[in-house]
Amino acid sequence: MKETILKLKQEIIEALNLEDIHPEDIDDNAPLFGSGLGLDSIDALELIVLMEKNYGIKLKDHAEGKAVFQSIAVMADYIEKNRKK
Amino acid sequence: MGYIMIVKIADNIISPLGMTSEENYREVKKGRTALKVYKDRWGLPEPFTASLFQGDTIENAFSSFHSHAQYTEFEKAAILSIHQALQQTDVNPSSDRVQFILSTTKGNISLLDDNPYKFPEERVLLGSSAKNIAGFFHNPNQPIVISNACISGVCAQITAMRCLQNGSCDIAIVTGADIQSRFIVSGFQSFQALSPLPCKPFDRDRCGLNLGEAAATVIYSNSAPQDSEERWMPVSGAIRNDANHISGPSRTGEGSYRALRSILKGQDVNSIAFVNSHGTSTAYNDEMESIAITRAGLQDIPVNSLKGYYGHTMGAAGILESVISMHALDDSTILGTKGFENAGVSHPLHISSQNEQTDKTAFIKLLSGFGGCNASMFFKKGIIL
Amino acid sequence: MKITHWIHIRPDVIILDGKALVSTGKGIEMLTSVYRNRINDYPKYFKMDSLSKLGFIASELLLQEEKERLVNVESRAIVFFNRSSSLCDDKNYQETIRDKDNYFPSPAIFVYTLPNIVTGEIAIRNKYYGETSFYVLDCLNTEKMKQIIDDAFQDEVTESVLGGWLECYDNNNFEAYLFIIKKNDKEEFLLDWNIETINKLIDTNK
Repeated sequence: MKETILKLKQEIIEALNLEDIHPEDIDDNAPLFGSGLGLDSIDALELIVLMEKNYGIKLKDHAEGKAVFQSIAVMADYIEKNRKK
Repeated sequence: MGYIMIVKIADNIISPLGMTSEENYREVKKGRTALKVYKDRWGLPEPFTASLFQGDTIENAFSSFHSHAQYTEFEKAAILSIHQALQQTDVNPSSDRVQFILSTTKGNISLLDDNPYKFPEERVLLGSSAKNIAGFFHNPNQPIVISNACISGVCAQITAMRCLQNGSCDIAIVTGADIQSRFIVSGFQSFQALSPLPCKPFDRDRCGLNLGEAAATVIYSNSAPQDSEERWMPVSGAIRNDANHISGPSRTGEGSYRALRSILKGQDVNSIAFVNSHGTSTAYNDEMESIAITRAGLQDIPVNSLKGYYGHTMGAAGILESVISMHALDDSTILGTKGFENAGVSHPLHISSQNEQTDKTAFIKLLSGFGGCNASMFFKKGIIL
Repeated sequence: MKITHWIHIRPDVIILDGKALVSTGKGIEMLTSVYRNRINDYPKYFKMDSLSKLGFIASELLLQEEKERLVNVESRAIVFFNRSSSLCDDKNYQETIRDKDNYFPSPAIFVYTLPNIVTGEIAIRNKYYGETSFYVLDCLNTEKMKQIIDDAFQDEVTESVLGGWLECYDNNNFEAYLFIIKKNDKEEFLLDWNIETINKLIDTNK
């Protein structure tokens, strides 16, 4: 799980152009949207692409995305349970 | 500088619903739509609903010109529309007092994907494409292209008004066109902005927009013909930004409201027959417009959207929808919003669901686009004295 | 009307109000080093495409020169021009959909396949609620550009325009000529806004 979390943080930093942010800066349980990393609607859409591209997981829509993208920990757990890659 | 009356002297719409404005208006009045589902089109994995030209419609219509030069489908649609509009006037398009203004978001973008006729790479450039379009009519002036996302069609008309006001031209040929492609559809799919079914503007069950393609032209002049006929005049126009987000609409409808506020100055709200909105049928856009329209004090004025007939025709939308609106009022009609059944926005608006009669002769056109931009125009019909 | 400030940027040079700005690196790296040394408070910069980065840096440097930096107004219009529209981003986006077996359209790239997005980025940064427009010409025509910018003042709310040529073909091939033009300014005045001045500034810096 720790490996999944670290890899996921690196992937998110790269995919969302989060310059000056390192994996150790991201709290596993902090909200990704609103506060925390302060991601926006385009970032949410890019995370949906990331899930499919890197893990073969197809999320239906942003409602499903909202539930999965609550925090890094929730995302990583979902990936471990549903990944096809 | 004294204010000069700008008047419309001709118009045309080329769309999946017809090749003239009259044909288009007749079909829309009957409630027709070209929206249908496309599966496996352009090799896209997800099906989508759109309003597209069938088969070789544009190609066949253009072949009557017996042109030696090669033109792309986008350019042919624009040329056809301009030609048809010019037929209604005695304007000489090769005059240097005529300015071509083109509104488009992606022009010849499909050439990046598929270029069977081997157009040079430069042809993807909008200015180059516009030069070919204006060149068909032997116009010597550098054409102006507006690429301001989905509000381009209104911006192009505002640009025309300004050119005509300052006297840098006497006739402005304003054309909006966009042709759908794998590039555009896939992009909107990545935004999850598309509805799988025909769109439902302002409806509580709306779930996204449909894309469309069309070419539409309006020709404006700064010298009104010497007769007692009633003519359409673009009275005022404004472009404003939300200053909020590059793709998400403003929660306060900021730019939309400010554009409306600007064009309403000095106008009698009671003279307005309807507000033709952007009404794309996305959750956020229609909600935002309901807020802006209410903030501007227009909540009791009939509001409609034409996206249920045409889909979102992007660069063509601002011109196509203005022209249909003018033809509607020529027919004393407020068109119904196809797809609308039950109100689904937080601010109650008077959404026109069926065609209605009116004796008013002014309307507002409202649009919004990516980049946080919004535009509005006030149109009035009257006799130029 | 008056030019109160102007800037010229190429991949290896920045001229601000006629003086060369010291900068390191070339191309996009140069722009990013300017961001870090002179701005550095807007992480959204790193999400922007190259055209928006160019427009953002150019406008930030100009606005920093204003005696009182204008923010939160409807009276400033942004009017930009170029020849390539968003072709740089169009090509990048096309890459994400080209291969049917590796088909992952990117919304973050797609949003930048419209040239006017850069005007939105500047409007957001400065809370400019006024007009934002983007025009495409087949070549840099200073007379046309001046005419259209002058016409923006027909909107009586517009008191100043942040306008000019903003071109980006790729990360190492771009050019900006941006001006702040004011209707009336008693305090800050650099040059007259007329065709002779514009041509002189552009010809001198070619």
